[in-house]
Amino acid sequence: MAIFPSTHATLGAPATAGRRALHLRAGRAVTLGLLLAAPFATAMVLLAVPGRARKTAAALALLPLVGFTAWAVASAGPLLSGGEITLALPWIPDLGVALDLRLDALGLLLALVATGIGSLVVVYSAAYLPAGIHLPRFMAYLVAFAGGMVGVAAADNLFGLFVFWEITTVASYLLIGFSDDKGSARAAALQAVLTTSAGGLAMLAGCVLLSRQAGTATLSAILAAPPSGAATTAALALILLGAFTKSAQVPFHGWLPAAMAAPTPASAYLHSATMVKAGVFLLARLHPGFGSDPIWAPVITTVGLATMVLGAWRALRQTDLKLLLAFGTVSQLGFMTALLGLGLVHAALAVLVGHALYKSALFLVVGTIDRTAGTRDLRVLSGLGRRLPGLLAVAAVAAASKAGLPPLLGWAAKEAAFAEILTVAAWPVVILTVAASALTAAYALRFVWGAFATKAMAPDARPLGAGVLPPAPGLWAPAALLAAASVVLGIAPGWVDRLVQAAAGVPGKLVLWPGWQPALAASGAAVALGAIIHLGRTRAAHLQAAGERLFRSLRFPTADGTYRRSLEGLNRLADATTGTLQHGSLPVYLGVILLATLGLPAAWWLAGGAGMPAPPLAHRPAEVALGLLAAAAAFGAARARHRLTAALFLGAAGYAVGGIFVLYGAPDLALTQLLVETLTVAMFAFVVARLPRRHEEARLPWWRALRVGVALAVGAVVTWAALAVGGGGGGEASAAYLEKAVPEAGGRNVVNVILTDFRALDTLGEITVLVVAAMGVAGLIAGARVASGREEDPR
Amino acid sequence: MKTLVTLPLVVPLAAAALSLLMRRFLVAQRVLGITAATASLGIALALVVRVDGTGPAVAALGGWHPPLGIALVADRFAALMLVVAAAALLGVLVYAVGQGRVDTAMPGFHPVYQVLAAGVALGLLTGDLFTLFVAFEVMLIASYVLITARAGAAHVRATLTYVVVGLTASALFLATVALIYAAAGTVNLADLAGRLDGVSPTIRAALGWLLFMVFGIKAAIFPLFFWLPDSYPTAPSPVTAIFAGLLTKVGVYAMIRTQTLLFPSDEPSQVMLALAGLTMVVGVLGAIAQSDIRRILSFHIVSQIGYMVMGLGFFTVAGLAAAIVFLVHQIVVKTVLFLVGGLVEDTAGTGNLAKVGGVLHRHPLVALLYLPAALSLAGLPPFSGFVGKLALVQAGFAASQAPVVAVSLAASILTLFSMAKIWAGAFWGQPTGEDCRRPGAVGLAATGALVVASLAIAVVAQPLLGLATRAGADLLAADVYRAVVLGG
Repeated sequence: MAIFPSTHATLGAPATAGRRALHLRAGRAVTLGLLLAAPFATAMVLLAVPGRARKTAAALALLPLVGFTAWAVASAGPLLSGGEITLALPWIPDLGVALDLRLDALGLLLALVATGIGSLVVVYSAAYLPAGIHLPRFMAYLVAFAGGMVGVAAADNLFGLFVFWEITTVASYLLIGFSDDKGSARAAALQAVLTTSAGGLAMLAGCVLLSRQAGTATLSAILAAPPSGAATTAALALILLGAFTKSAQVPFHGWLPAAMAAPTPASAYLHSATMVKAGVFLLARLHPGFGSDPIWAPVITTVGLATMVLGAWRALRQTDLKLLLAFGTVSQLGFMTALLGLGLVHAALAVLVGHALYKSALFLVVGTIDRTAGTRDLRVLSGLGRRLPGLLAVAAVAAASKAGLPPLLGWAAKEAAFAEILTVAAWPVVILTVAASALTAAYALRFVWGAFATKAMAPDARPLGAGVLPPAPGLWAPAALLAAASVVLGIAPGWVDRLVQAAAGVPGKLVLWPGWQPALAASGAAVALGAIIHLGRTRAAHLQAAGERLFRSLRFPTADGTYRRSLEGLNRLADATTGTLQHGSLPVYLGVILLATLGLPAAWWLAGGAGMPAPPLAHRPAEVALGLLAAAAAFGAARARHRLTAALFLGAAGYAVGGIFVLYGAPDLALTQLLVETLTVAMFAFVVARLPRRHEEARLPWWRALRVGVALAVGAVVTWAALAVGGGGGGEASAAYLEKAVPEAGGRNVVNVILTDFRALDTLGEITVLVVAAMGVAGLIAGARVASGREEDPR
Repeated sequence: MKTLVTLPLVVPLAAAALSLLMRRFLVAQRVLGITAATASLGIALALVVRVDGTGPAVAALGGWHPPLGIALVADRFAALMLVVAAAALLGVLVYAVGQGRVDTAMPGFHPVYQVLAAGVALGLLTGDLFTLFVAFEVMLIASYVLITARAGAAHVRATLTYVVVGLTASALFLATVALIYAAAGTVNLADLAGRLDGVSPTIRAALGWLLFMVFGIKAAIFPLFFWLPDSYPTAPSPVTAIFAGLLTKVGVYAMIRTQTLLFPSDEPSQVMLALAGLTMVVGVLGAIAQSDIRRILSFHIVSQIGYMVMGLGFFTVAGLAAAIVFLVHQIVVKTVLFLVGGLVEDTAGTGNLAKVGGVLHRHPLVALLYLPAALSLAGLPPFSGFVGKLALVQAGFAASQAPVVAVSLAASILTLFSMAKIWAGAFWGQPTGEDCRRPGAVGLAATGALVVASLAIAVVAQPLLGLATRAGADLLAADVYRAVVLGG
């Protein structure tokens, strides 16, 4: 089944055309493999760490993440100039499956984001999660997830990529449901895993199709010589489903806001900074090979723009700070997707890095607010900025980066994006982007205002008094570092620029000051508009509410509603199907089994009835008599009201069959048959004495008629089959038995010789059956005695 | 070599007889049972290595050369199945002994268990259609006794469905064997493979269909599966586990064996693929409708059978290889899941998802055993189910059968849904109910060993798939099988 005979051959070959294939020393490749294995090994160890060993757990979790980050930064140089670190890890060559690694600049970018932010999140989690939470288990999931992300970043095989992809899905499921005493968390985990794995399965089918088209599953080889045509487009569409569900694109975005049920560090890490970027990453990965596919630009751009606008719109409506950020993430993911749809890989990746830094910082800030103030509802929070000015500063910087203000990384990324959009995109795209950016600026302001401002107290507001203590360093330092990174990398974007340019494989420009250019007007307008929206927030809220009422009145399906309805529909379908089919009635089961088994032969019989062979039904008159006797006895058994009468009729039918054996010269068979029938009737008579005299009657006439009909049909089909197959084939074997019985087996009764010699194994089997049956009966009787003894003796 | 072929049958049968003699000495029975099961595993391993190296091994019993006498035939498919069956039988036996309930409550447990093992071995090895019937009788009678191991009138009534459907299937099987003998004049499989060509196409198709459906009842395909979810959940947990792991799979084995050998086809069978798709979907919908661990898992047995029938329905080497890999994976994983279900019931006192909860917090080890098996069942990487599913999907696309592939993928997301339901219901949440007892160390170890086996299937996927591909090629080369059995 070597579908991919050439897989091995392509592994070591120089990959992407146009990229300098600089193969690095083998030692680095092995290190990469070990560093990828380390998180999974650590996760296993962490599962064995007891819940109270919190510091040990945090230290253990930190080790592989910091290790990878340090190694990646140290090895970045050659990768940034087009080098790659490759490691062949074959798994199932016959299926084209390998865990081959090929770390290039694009992979490095994602892996660095995953392990760098991961390290900070680990530190934060140790401070954030309360003592009752099983920290080692949380860390195990987190670290396994980080391993999955690094795998996604470095995989060079479609199926290997899928393996790591699904590892992140499972880790995400476990983390979303981590507060598993809450039903909402369990439900959110389910929604996330169902949505993303449904997309994942589509993606798997797409990978199979694509690898069939390309003749290899090695990514770099596929991208070097991408196939095209309808089948490739279909494969791409399926893979896009995987990317869209993972990156929470419309209409699959519903799971991401629900996933905020996860502990906040997990949300910061998986559901804003890294996992949701996997889909975007995959698009960036595939763009060199499939960017010119007919569906690439229209589908991806449309989906991305829709997601961008919808996410920003919804973000502005939220009162839960975490949900506000979640919808903001949806919007930004849409922005990145739209950029990739337009082919602006450089801008998309710049936005990705900028977003990862500021959004994870903001999430960590929300977590700290939640921990210290006990709420993250912006209607209730007031005056926090005065109490925690440091946290306010961190949040303000991150939010400014999000709004796209200089001199932050978010600014540089957005300027680059606007500049590139203006060069390629049509006006509607530009307008939508500016509008979404304005909304982004507005909800960034809303975030800072909502969390920290001193507001006119709502009636149920909770004044935050002296109860708010300054958070521990672990609760603010990681966020501060991330915010600082936004500043430093914004002022001096050179290193990020190099990374993003190398990752995108195209030149771009990521600078602090791009000079006076049209993009500046667009982004300036967006920020100004955002400020206006925030200042007129009461009016804006009314406007939004009116807009949503309009949507509702149009019965426009929402993502959450669709998911809920599908789930309910699925459960109803399952109940209905199972309730109908799993009837519980034995006669119904038997009827279905018989009809299904014999229905098709009956159809063939009826279809080809004319050509049916018609052997003589009987050779001599006695056979007719015996046959009629057997039939009459069977009829009598079916009609009989009393059990014993029925048994006697069955015995008569058996005697008639014995008579036929006599006619065909098998007296000992006939004798056996007669003995068996006699014994059966006799035993039945004993048993029947202990049973009610009458059977249960089928009360409804149609039910009775149906049963008679099934019985007759089954009898007819079997009779037809017996007549149709003829009886001529048996001569040869019989002749051989007769010939060898005396000289070789030494027995004159050929039936006995067959039973005890020629086919002795069958007899051994049947003897075993009898022994076991006897044991079973003995066991049942003993069980019944025990049971009835219990009933009779109340003590 | 000939002795080696008969040993998988002789060892459990002899152990059964000895065990029957020692029925008053439970410890001796236990030691004997585990020894025999271990020996069977070793023999099966030796057999698969030999057969893969030197080709099928044939033992003509009593020195009567087939088709006159009965031949045991160990080819790659049979030998591989023997290994997995022996592993499952050993694992479950150790679990049962560790649990110490079923064999103390039922004096005949150990002999009957060995008879079940002998029946399975006979079914896998026999080269004779009538002996296959006998093998199913042996398995069935042993399973009747085991499933009624729980005393009590209500329980016996619940197993009535199992017994009556089993007897009906036997009657149909026997009638079909008789028809085939009447049509072709032999019941030796190798001999039949040549002679059925001479039978008229309509008759041949009817006989093929009858045999497919007879094994379909045993394997619990749509629409013949109703008996399974009604009866399996009522047996003691080790018994349900071995039934779930093995019995339906022997039905699938017989189906694959007879269809490829006696009724080969050059093109995919649309009827089989349709039934396969329906089996997957209806089975998994049944699982979704349940709220008890065992009942959920029982419906999944049905659903997963559909995947194997799908692999057969392609009638390609790749399809058969995928079906074989899937069979191997299913035997191990399904056994594990039922054993874990038993552990949950042991610790929480019930498998009802409405009543049990928080097992992760009380017994994290049990959760750790469940998770890989459940993900594997849902076909998630990097577990064994992913390997089987991917092989099937690739074989399906290669055979240009995209619709059934799509159905199989849809069914696997529904499988994930119901695995998540068990996880969220039993393992997550507040621990409920009083903690009846800690899971036994032996039971955990036995289950853990099988989990390791399922992980190992994924690790050695390439050699396994290679072996399965050679086995699949053997199955489609009926001439070679004929020559080996009749000419050797």
